[in-house]
Amino acid sequence: MPTKDEVFEKIQSSLVDALGVEEEEVQPEATLVGDLGAESIDFLDIAFRLEKAFNIKIPQGELFPEDILTDPQYVQDGKVTEAGLAELRKRMPFANLDNFTKNPVVQDLVNLMSVADLCRFVEGKLGVTE
Amino acid sequence: MRFAGKTALVTGGSRGIGRACVKRLAAEGARVAFVYQSNQAAAEALVQELQSAPAEVRPLQADVCDLARAHQIADLLFEEWKAIDVLVNSAGIVHDGLLGAMTAEQWQTVIAVNLGGTYNYCHAVTQPMMMQRRGSIVNLSSTAADFPSRGQANYAASKGGINGLTRALAKELAPRNVRVNAVAPGMIETDMSQAVRSLAGAQIKQIIPLKRIGQPEEVAAAVAFVASDEASYLTGQILHVDGGVSLGGY
Repeated sequence: MPTKDEVFEKIQSSLVDALGVEEEEVQPEATLVGDLGAESIDFLDIAFRLEKAFNIKIPQGELFPEDILTDPQYVQDGKVTEAGLAELRKRMPFANLDNFTKNPVVQDLVNLMSVADLCRFVEGKLGVTE
Repeated sequence: MRFAGKTALVTGGSRGIGRACVKRLAAEGARVAFVYQSNQAAAEALVQELQSAPAEVRPLQADVCDLARAHQIADLLFEEWKAIDVLVNSAGIVHDGLLGAMTAEQWQTVIAVNLGGTYNYCHAVTQPMMMQRRGSIVNLSSTAADFPSRGQANYAASKGGINGLTRALAKELAPRNVRVNAVAPGMIETDMSQAVRSLAGAQIKQIIPLKRIGQPEEVAAAVAFVASDEASYLTGQILHVDGGVSLGGY
């Protein structure tokens, strides 16, 4: 079982390879889209690299539940509804959604995902606690 | 030797155009794995024929409709070879009939093998090719996608689907230096086209500007070019290899 530091180091290395960024840029608070320049294809690449690095499977929608964001049941006028936010919290326990919930514009969700969120996601899958 | 040190996976590799592609890529130095469905004798004969090829030629039995098997094969090759440079999706079938008389099974089988099989192997190599930051996928389409004959609704739909898949995937994978193209053969002398050629007789040559049926090796030459680094700026294209049929007109 890796430690939290080891999880971070592997994620840092995966993001350097996937996004072509410098190691120093990959800090816990860095957002994947805004700070590291990730595009949609990069999320697929990142998921592939995490699967290899940690020998895990990441089913579609687990890291980024886009099905919620395209479901009229959870989205109205381009914003995620209360029911949608509840579903997101359930499906993304690793993500800090505090800022997003203030103005839950659908397109903004992807912009909020940070390196720390990724670390918590992997730690959750592996059961890492320290 | 455009493919020296390169690796290639070819579906439908034991017969027809796929077989010609295996031979061409192997002759140009690639390590080639080819998928065949059931004709083990043909697969073994091909391996035997390519014994003196510069690199390994490996037959793998699979039903291209089986996505899990496609992933198993891609994972195996990536693990052993450390790269999959080229994928050629050549597995295909025909089951012609006028639509009004076409059974659901006729429709679904052709779509599942031709289009579904292409999806399965594209899906399986996406991860390795994205991670290795290079790759070339060549899907075998057909002139029938744009110029279908009567009785080919299922086949034409499957090949039209391949063209769409090719263009869309080309856009998706271009940022990762993975090229996706299609080669669209016209009337080629293979077992698969035997029935059509027999029915049409000598007339068929009259509608081909080059006035002859093409050979599988001529398609394989185009596939090899598109797959090679010589075509490094080519992606999302459908290259017609049809003696001029797709020019239309008189």
